[in-house]
Amino acid sequence: MAIILKTIPHLLAWSVIVLVSFRGFTGRRSVVTLSSISGLIIGVSGSCILFRSFPGAIPFGIIKSILGLSFLLLWGVSVASGYSNAVRGEAFCRSKQFFQSSICAGTVTGIISMVAGAVSVCALPVTGISALSMVFLALSSALIAYFIVYAVRFIEKRLPESFMVSPLGMVVSVVSLLLFSSSSILRLDLFSPLSMKVMKGIHDFVHQFMESILIPDHLFVRPIVWKYIGFLFGNGVGFWGAMVIWFAPVFLIITAFLSERLPSVAHIRQGAQRRTLLAAAVTLRRCRLVMPLLSILIFAAAAYQSSYPSVEYWDPKPLAVTASQAGEIFIPKKGEINLEDGKLHKYLFKKGDKEARFFVLKGPAGQLTVDLDACAICKPDGYGQTEGTVICYYCKTLIPLETVGKPGGCNPVPVQFTEKADGVIIDAITLINSWGATVQATARVKEGGK
Amino acid sequence: MKRLLQTFLIVGSSRAIAPVVIGLFFLFYIGIAFFTDETLIALMAFTRKSIILAAILSLIPLSCGVRILQETVVFMKRRRSLSGKSVDSLPELFDETVELPVSPFMSELEGRLIGVGYKTRRSLNTLAAWRGISLFPARMLFLTATCCLFTGILISVTSRTSDRRMVIEGESMPMPDGTGGTVERITLANSSGSILAKTLTMEIAPSNSGQGKKTFGLYPPALYGGSFVYPRYLGLAVLLRFSAPDLQAGYDTHCSLNTYPPGKEDNVVIPGSPYRIVLSVPIPAANSERYVSYMSGKINLLFKVLKGKEVLFSGSVPAGGEFMRDGYRLALPDVRRLVITDFIGDYGVLLIWAAGLIFATAVSLWLPIRLFFPRREMLLSFEPDLIRSCSRSEGRARTHAGVFHEVLDLVDARKV
Repeated sequence: MAIILKTIPHLLAWSVIVLVSFRGFTGRRSVVTLSSISGLIIGVSGSCILFRSFPGAIPFGIIKSILGLSFLLLWGVSVASGYSNAVRGEAFCRSKQFFQSSICAGTVTGIISMVAGAVSVCALPVTGISALSMVFLALSSALIAYFIVYAVRFIEKRLPESFMVSPLGMVVSVVSLLLFSSSSILRLDLFSPLSMKVMKGIHDFVHQFMESILIPDHLFVRPIVWKYIGFLFGNGVGFWGAMVIWFAPVFLIITAFLSERLPSVAHIRQGAQRRTLLAAAVTLRRCRLVMPLLSILIFAAAAYQSSYPSVEYWDPKPLAVTASQAGEIFIPKKGEINLEDGKLHKYLFKKGDKEARFFVLKGPAGQLTVDLDACAICKPDGYGQTEGTVICYYCKTLIPLETVGKPGGCNPVPVQFTEKADGVIIDAITLINSWGATVQATARVKEGGK
Repeated sequence: MKRLLQTFLIVGSSRAIAPVVIGLFFLFYIGIAFFTDETLIALMAFTRKSIILAAILSLIPLSCGVRILQETVVFMKRRRSLSGKSVDSLPELFDETVELPVSPFMSELEGRLIGVGYKTRRSLNTLAAWRGISLFPARMLFLTATCCLFTGILISVTSRTSDRRMVIEGESMPMPDGTGGTVERITLANSSGSILAKTLTMEIAPSNSGQGKKTFGLYPPALYGGSFVYPRYLGLAVLLRFSAPDLQAGYDTHCSLNTYPPGKEDNVVIPGSPYRIVLSVPIPAANSERYVSYMSGKINLLFKVLKGKEVLFSGSVPAGGEFMRDGYRLALPDVRRLVITDFIGDYGVLLIWAAGLIFATAVSLWLPIRLFFPRREMLLSFEPDLIRSCSRSEGRARTHAGVFHEVLDLVDARKV
């Protein structure tokens, strides 16, 4: 039952996609019906085969890349729409005929439904799915798809004529729905990784820009000026930068609609007729704005879902540890805490006014790893553990358990340690130095991490 | 040949070039981001090495150049048509063109247009009306700035050289190719400027190679021997003498210490021995000037002498002084100010600076004109039994279109 509940939001998103497709490809109802149903079945079966064929994060990576490409496509289309407007919309007029052909309708709806089906499967516990379960899943998806499509056809017939979907409106709404659907699945989510990349990108860009135009280093600059520059390296920049990238295509499309030239009426000599024509054009333009405006809400919901995921993390309170006279921290493997249970165990070491937070984890390969509860990029908000991954609380990046213990990116910074039969030994000075070197001076170390 | 040139002009002046090129680089950036965290640096390195990428990037300034040409030609043609000198290819120069099969009656039309705030000009067979200021100069400035910016980026990315040297008081100015004059004085002082908190001055005596006396500050960095002198960090040049009971001979070394801001540690390793000396400038008391030691030259260095990982002893030693304990001796007979300086060979920087200034000028022109005085134009050209009416606007298009339609209605109502 719980499994069925998990797929409901994804099926709802797909239903709206089908509805939009019916309105977008007017006069191609049977093609859209057939390709939507077959697309969903192929998507579900294909992703099951992917999960059976490839281990770990690879299938998620493939599906996430497809979603990423769809977002890039949306960007391309939105920029092109703005530019085509600047040259009086000729490119889109030419492509309109192709867009309304049955080949285009079938291909587009088929591909979209395939992606939607694959996303839905990712919400299910399909890793290592048996062949029998796969067949069952494919048959169920066919049945569900059949009922949903016919229900949507029924609803669509009763919708007012003014609810119209232009090609641009269709692209933006379909992509927003796919991203909304995927944002509830941690491993498919695009918004949080985008925030992280934007943060790093802006940091690099500002640094390179200042070096490029030979701006003096911060020691020569007034602290207040540096504070303003420092804003670009701050908490919110990644998030707000990602918000700009996230919403910009929709706003570009809306701007393209709004800045479309009204039809030339100068040749008409009756003022009333001119006004009627212009009013009709303005009304048509407003109707075409409905889908992009709705897409803003869907994109906002996806960003919210990504920023506040409804997933519970394993995030134990850090245990205080001390060092021996020789400056060594010993953590026993067994006892109150079992270091080898595959869970993340956090510790806090204090020396004078300095402190360092770290965790010990046994990875899927069976090897223990000791890492700082911080990465080299983000502020040290720490990590939580969820199925097959740890998540950086600051930038919401998921790190597969297989790569924890390896340096780089948003991975937790590894700490040197010695493994004994009964526990692990960490050099206290190395730990403190590593924390100090990694974590920025402005970082806050809070017990409990998050 | 002419057709080839025309094709080049059409493609080169396409508005799509800049977004397509930027989009390509953006895609490339995303691709690189999958493999490295230093994405921007990697992208710059690729562009530097790859002629294809550099050529793609150069399409933007090239396109800007062609657009400047093309838009100037269009602007001049429109000016000529409005002044009644030529009425060729009107539909291409205006947003809207309408032909009415009527005879002219210019005086009434002209009065009507003047009445609604337009300026007019009448010639033998045309009536031009306009109001507002053209955005053409702002547009030209914008295109010029874009051209400068991307040319600057291209030059900077493909040919920038950077050479980090220590500029030490009392020694010759190090140059990427040879040496300059003697560094007479390095001065760090507080500044009352709104952006820079400090001023740094490096005074260089005339050199043998013919360079006169020079003084370098912080910003904008000056050129010396073809390179920009870009001061980065402060440090100390130290003559360090160390002897220990188990060191057969004492050890003398000239070393550069990167010890600013105060509290930052740098170390000197005594070669062939287990000794290492960690040095730092003490952090001044709260609310006092952090760089007072550098400014005044009264330098006192904190040190730790390590043998392997073990700290043997620590203390402080003033510039020109020494410290002795248990047969160990640490002396700093000579301590001088130094500036860690990058010598940047990059003329693209000049273009980027110029682009910044031109962009600022373009925006400060464009904004008030677009908001308050957008250009609106119409041209009526009279031929026997025919009026060709053209209109265009750079803002307030609906109001202008209303006036244009009214004029056409008036012409139509009075047709003979």
